[in-house]
Amino acid sequence: MAANNSGDKGTRNLVIIMVAFIVVVGVVFSLISNRSNSTAAVPASVSAADGYGIVLNPNAKPTIDVYVDYQCPACRAFEILNGGYLNEVIAQNKAKVVFHPMTFIGPESILAANAAACAADENEFVAMNLAIFQDQSPNENSGKWQGDAMLNIGKSIGINSAKFEACIKDGNYVKWTGNVSAATAKANVNSTPTIFVNGKQLDRNTEYGDPVKFRAALAAGGVK
Amino acid sequence: MGDKFKVAQPWLTLLARLILGGVLFAAGALKIGSLQKSAMAVRAYELLPVSLANFLGYTLPWIEIGVGLLLIAGVAVRISGLIGAFTMLAFIIAIAQAWARGLSIDCGCFGGGGAIDPEDTKYLSEIIRDIGLLILGIYLYFYPKGRFSVDK
Repeated sequence: MAANNSGDKGTRNLVIIMVAFIVVVGVVFSLISNRSNSTAAVPASVSAADGYGIVLNPNAKPTIDVYVDYQCPACRAFEILNGGYLNEVIAQNKAKVVFHPMTFIGPESILAANAAACAADENEFVAMNLAIFQDQSPNENSGKWQGDAMLNIGKSIGINSAKFEACIKDGNYVKWTGNVSAATAKANVNSTPTIFVNGKQLDRNTEYGDPVKFRAALAAGGVK
Repeated sequence: MGDKFKVAQPWLTLLARLILGGVLFAAGALKIGSLQKSAMAVRAYELLPVSLANFLGYTLPWIEIGVGLLLIAGVAVRISGLIGAFTMLAFIIAIAQAWARGLSIDCGCFGGGGAIDPEDTKYLSEIIRDIGLLILGIYLYFYPKGRFSVDK
């Protein structure tokens, strides 16, 4: 009986040690993998000071920050509804616009964000951004964006360079998406899309889904 | 009555361990696939400083898995039950304050989480479920000895 008891005690300690090991390794791994990586390759238009976002019109004012995930249906709806006006603002240099492609929905968000960054290096970010949203699958991580999908989206808007192809195939900016995520976590962005004009968040209940109110909100923020 | 409870108690302890442990383990396991969402869900409660919320979002799933495993195996049941109960109490407070402040969030209990449409919130059912689990944790603190456990 005594021997039996000490055997149980050994099993008990072994279980506790194993569980503690799993928890500690998991915690350490999670904390490290969600940290910003200063050695990650970043697109030329990205600024660490702007939360690793892709910056368009760096010298214009005011600043508009756009947080999206390419697989988020509400972000697609926002792009279809308000993207046209936002792109007009960009084209006419009426604001500094910083895009933060988030990747919390999963692997295909990473592929899309990487592709958008590759397109930014070709000065085609705006067209690529729209084209990716237009190609969004109704299901998350459906497999639609695996393989050559992003390359083909790029070709559809006229990006044919070998550099772009290599950037997509090698996933040049995959690590950078981790930096964007770490920065958005610090910026306390909890849903997508989220738009800030000069650091002031637009009203989720009214200003995202109504083009007139969206325009008015940008005007109130100083977009002339 | 007393005798009947004496017979049933080890089985009730087993049941409580499997339910609370199973729920905790599942909740943790479903979150580790997307820790970004997990951190987002904690931030959405708007209860903790952002850096602490992110830390909790990345680490809590592993704690849930650990406590869940201990309860299922029946190891350190008393303390694991207490940690489980304490965790549930924290969730209840977090959900209740979100409800009271009129936030529209998903509890993020089993992955997902973050801001949602006001009509999609399920605060009452989430709180009732967590109160049930809290009671199981308290029961395990007082009656840790049960069937099929490594603890003797």
